[in-house]
Amino acid sequence: MRWVRLVPDFTSVGAHFDRQVLSALDDAGVAADLVLTHVERTGSVAVTVVSARITGGLAPGTEIEEPARGRCVRFPGWAVLTGTHPVAEIVAATAIDEVVGIGAAVAPGTLVATAGYVRPEYRDGRLVLLVEPAAGGVFQPSEVEQPHECCAGTH
Amino acid sequence: MSHHHDGHEHHHHEVEPVEGSWQDPADDRPVAVARRRFLAGLGVAVGGAALAGTGAGEAAATPVASNRWGTPQRWYAGDHHIHTQYSGDGQYPVAAQVAKARANGLDWMVITDHGGVAHQKFSIDQVTPDIEKARKGNRDVLVYQGLEWNIPGAEHATVFLPPDRHTVDILRAFEGAYDGGVLSTSVENGGKGLIARSTSADGEPYALAALRYLEAQVLSGRTEIALMFANHPARRGVDSPHELRGWRDAAPGVAVGMEGAPGHQASGIPKSAGGRGGARGYYDSSPGVDSHPGYAPTATENPYRTYGGFDWMTAKVGGLWDSMLAEGRPWWVTSTSDVHQVFGDTLTPGTQDYEKTGSRGAPVDSGVEQTGFGDFFPGHYSRTVVGARSKSYVDVMRGLQSGKVIAVHGRLIDGLDLRVRALGEGDNRGVTIGGRTFVERGGSVEVTIEVTGAGGPNFAGVVPKLAKLDLVAGPVTGPAVDRDTLSAPGTTVVKSFEVTKNRARFTHVFRDVATAFYLRVRGTDGNRLTADGGPVMDVVGDADPWADLWFYANPVFVDVI
Repeated sequence: MRWVRLVPDFTSVGAHFDRQVLSALDDAGVAADLVLTHVERTGSVAVTVVSARITGGLAPGTEIEEPARGRCVRFPGWAVLTGTHPVAEIVAATAIDEVVGIGAAVAPGTLVATAGYVRPEYRDGRLVLLVEPAAGGVFQPSEVEQPHECCAGTH
Repeated sequence: MSHHHDGHEHHHHEVEPVEGSWQDPADDRPVAVARRRFLAGLGVAVGGAALAGTGAGEAAATPVASNRWGTPQRWYAGDHHIHTQYSGDGQYPVAAQVAKARANGLDWMVITDHGGVAHQKFSIDQVTPDIEKARKGNRDVLVYQGLEWNIPGAEHATVFLPPDRHTVDILRAFEGAYDGGVLSTSVENGGKGLIARSTSADGEPYALAALRYLEAQVLSGRTEIALMFANHPARRGVDSPHELRGWRDAAPGVAVGMEGAPGHQASGIPKSAGGRGGARGYYDSSPGVDSHPGYAPTATENPYRTYGGFDWMTAKVGGLWDSMLAEGRPWWVTSTSDVHQVFGDTLTPGTQDYEKTGSRGAPVDSGVEQTGFGDFFPGHYSRTVVGARSKSYVDVMRGLQSGKVIAVHGRLIDGLDLRVRALGEGDNRGVTIGGRTFVERGGSVEVTIEVTGAGGPNFAGVVPKLAKLDLVAGPVTGPAVDRDTLSAPGTTVVKSFEVTKNRARFTHVFRDVATAFYLRVRGTDGNRLTADGGPVMDVVGDADPWADLWFYANPVFVDVI
């Protein structure tokens, strides 16, 4: 497996950024089973960079060692998570290794309402999904696709 | 209006129910927060002193604790975060907001439309006459002109000045030179094009320069006072600990605090109850490119959520707020409405092009109660109660500056008299909220908390019941070496008091005091508590704000001599 690092030339954030990254990879004909984002704060302006584990195609970007941490945009089994799923199914059907409740424990039968948007954390080779209590007695991922943006996100 | 004028007529029958209540028949407004005595005991002493200069003698008859020696002061409820049709995402005319604030019993309010190119160019000239007109029409409400400043490199902040000859000039120059929206907008679009994003770290030096500019206006006499409060500080994680400390250090007379509780408190009302079903405070974010890496959701906490309606920085005992207080750094918390669009209102934004005109125009009545709106009108739910010498523009700001401030939700309490004093050698007179007192090394410090519960229903039609008070304290250990410090391990809840009566008095004595420390008080209706008695993380989509009420009082610092 090869890991590559990409520095996108677009500066959008969150779900929009993810979509741009994924379509850029698709356009380049690259197959990647893990796609992570990282924030680099080395300069005065932080930038979001991408690392991807390449499974096929010609990889753009520079080759790197396996990263230690990241926010995971794409992982094996992601397409399974389209709605509300028990924790046991999430762990069994996808590459997510663990589902962790924030401030409240989850059990294998705990339902997680994903809304088709799941961004686990990549930590030393493991994928951990943070979830929190939500309306209706279910849990939901702590990162949602469209958080509220004040002044329509202009600032 | 005679009550308003003096306040001393009533001091002979201070224990009667009407005294110190919100429903004073002498008041012409629906809810008389302004002229009721927030500190009932203190009010008695004030009355005596004002009458004959023999305050101590007059007050001796009262059965409750009171500050018989303190500066005469009364308590004024307000809101420092209010939007109008001059925000791109707002809708209400200034006059409508002032009328609501007045009807809801507020004494002071700050108009804070979003900074930016269109606001700086077009809105200021429209909001200024509107504010002046509102002042003339509502002489019992102080209406400050302010700005919701996009802090370069960080979140938003309230900036405001008392009305004076140069107020508008200062605000306009400030916004043009230092608003993060203006600085990050390209030159061809009317901005400065100097920083990458409003929240990117290359803006941080501009934030410090901006605050020094305001302080310079005070020092040069162009304005008597100017204040800044950081708004919704943890919402997107972009107010890093070193920025908060930097602002305070850059302009200690101007940058004095933050929203302990953000506005938008209605946004967590469940859809099943006709609400938006969002996150309380619109706190539903997660770490982004400009977020501080120390703010990370973990199995035990999520800094991006509210806790009992309060911002994580404030709600977490031993958290970021405490880490600043543990340095001995005065930093105060408030609670505001951040009103843009009100839950259940039928009005919707006007159709005017904001970017071209700086106004949304008149709101449009849809005739349908809007369920997607997440805010309350000023004074409806959130109050920042300030102790001040008089109800004047400058005195209320001085009260805010000195931390005589209590942040209250949903009328959880009607009064709080906190008194901290040395027993034996030291400051026996003591101080109240926001104050600083002293004790001899090894001596004792007595804390007296007298709390008055709600004397009537809040705006949900319910009389809230205060169930528990927490006395929080921690050592003052001096400036943190790491400016991004966000915890104060020595700060704990030293004692909790169960409250069973509407008017209750509690005492705690810190004995054998060896080092400087600070203490603060918070209270709750006890409806939603963690196992250790703290606030619960609010559930996105299921947070009825009226069912989970808290108040937070600002700290008292105790020096050891």
